[in-house]
Amino acid sequence: MDRQLFFTLGDVVANLFVGFVMAAVAWLLVGTGWNMLIAMVAMMVLGMGLAVFLWFPIGIVLGAMEAMVPMMLTGMLSGMVVGMTAAMSSLSFSDASWKGLISGFVCFAFVWVMNSRLRGPQAL
Amino acid sequence: MVDIATQRKWDKVAPTFDLMAGRGAEIRWAPCKTELFSRMDGRVLFLALGTGLDIPLFPRGRDITAIDISPKMLEQAKPRVDAYDGNLRAEVMDVHEMTFDDGSFDQIFTSCTFCSVPRPVEGLKSLYRVLRPGGGLYMFEHTGSRYYPFKPMMNLMTLLTEKFGPAMNRTTVDNVRAAGFEVLEVNNIFLDVVKTIVARKPG
Repeated sequence: MDRQLFFTLGDVVANLFVGFVMAAVAWLLVGTGWNMLIAMVAMMVLGMGLAVFLWFPIGIVLGAMEAMVPMMLTGMLSGMVVGMTAAMSSLSFSDASWKGLISGFVCFAFVWVMNSRLRGPQAL
Repeated sequence: MVDIATQRKWDKVAPTFDLMAGRGAEIRWAPCKTELFSRMDGRVLFLALGTGLDIPLFPRGRDITAIDISPKMLEQAKPRVDAYDGNLRAEVMDVHEMTFDDGSFDQIFTSCTFCSVPRPVEGLKSLYRVLRPGGGLYMFEHTGSRYYPFKPMMNLMTLLTEKFGPAMNRTTVDNVRAAGFEVLEVNNIFLDVVKTIVARKPG
């Protein structure tokens, strides 16, 4: 497979995976009794930590910063979104999973767009 | 006096460094590193050789002195050093305590080094000393980001990563200027996090 395609697809799959896993963790941990703000912040921090943990094996194949930065962002967003919604109302596993997967794709796309804007020679 | 704490940290990770550094990063960064290293000319100092992962990307037939603070890293690097088609010497040396004479080198190259040097501006000043006036500094580095949300993320991440390896939030371009170099080029490779920096010692 072409290297560029391999890394692009790999980045997408890695972010979907992190988004899904963090959504599942947040779904398991957070119930409707939680304070929404605490749930949001706690799952965001946990999501970042989990993303770093998952990055270690994935990063060997997909690279260092190019894999780590979007995965951390995905972990934070997925944890934040699922933690917040699970604290507000009863959330099915399927809904939580979709939120995690969408978070993963949004973060991948955001980093991709930002990278397109920032890469290249810089004015001094 | 060698920074024992830093030396021990890198000695400890030496046996697994190649695995941790990962094939992915090597493949992704190889074209940019190859382009940067293709500028090697004259007496070259390569800083923080590590296990020598970058050696296959060096152009052939160059005169390169490489240093690293970790003897264990250089033990791992030996087969790659021996395989290099040119003049490559590897020595255990701390960037803060370099024994080279002033102006010994025409060029200095670094590769993911100044994320790990404990006192980066002082380290860069040491490089300034051993580089000849008008000589070039060529860096492939990862740094912190200026942009939200990456900046706070990298700051948080550094709290963890500094325990076993590099910092993720260094302001290396500013540090290069603070050490007295004139920055000529900054080329972002990934976001504003992975970049090449070309600078020169005035004179």
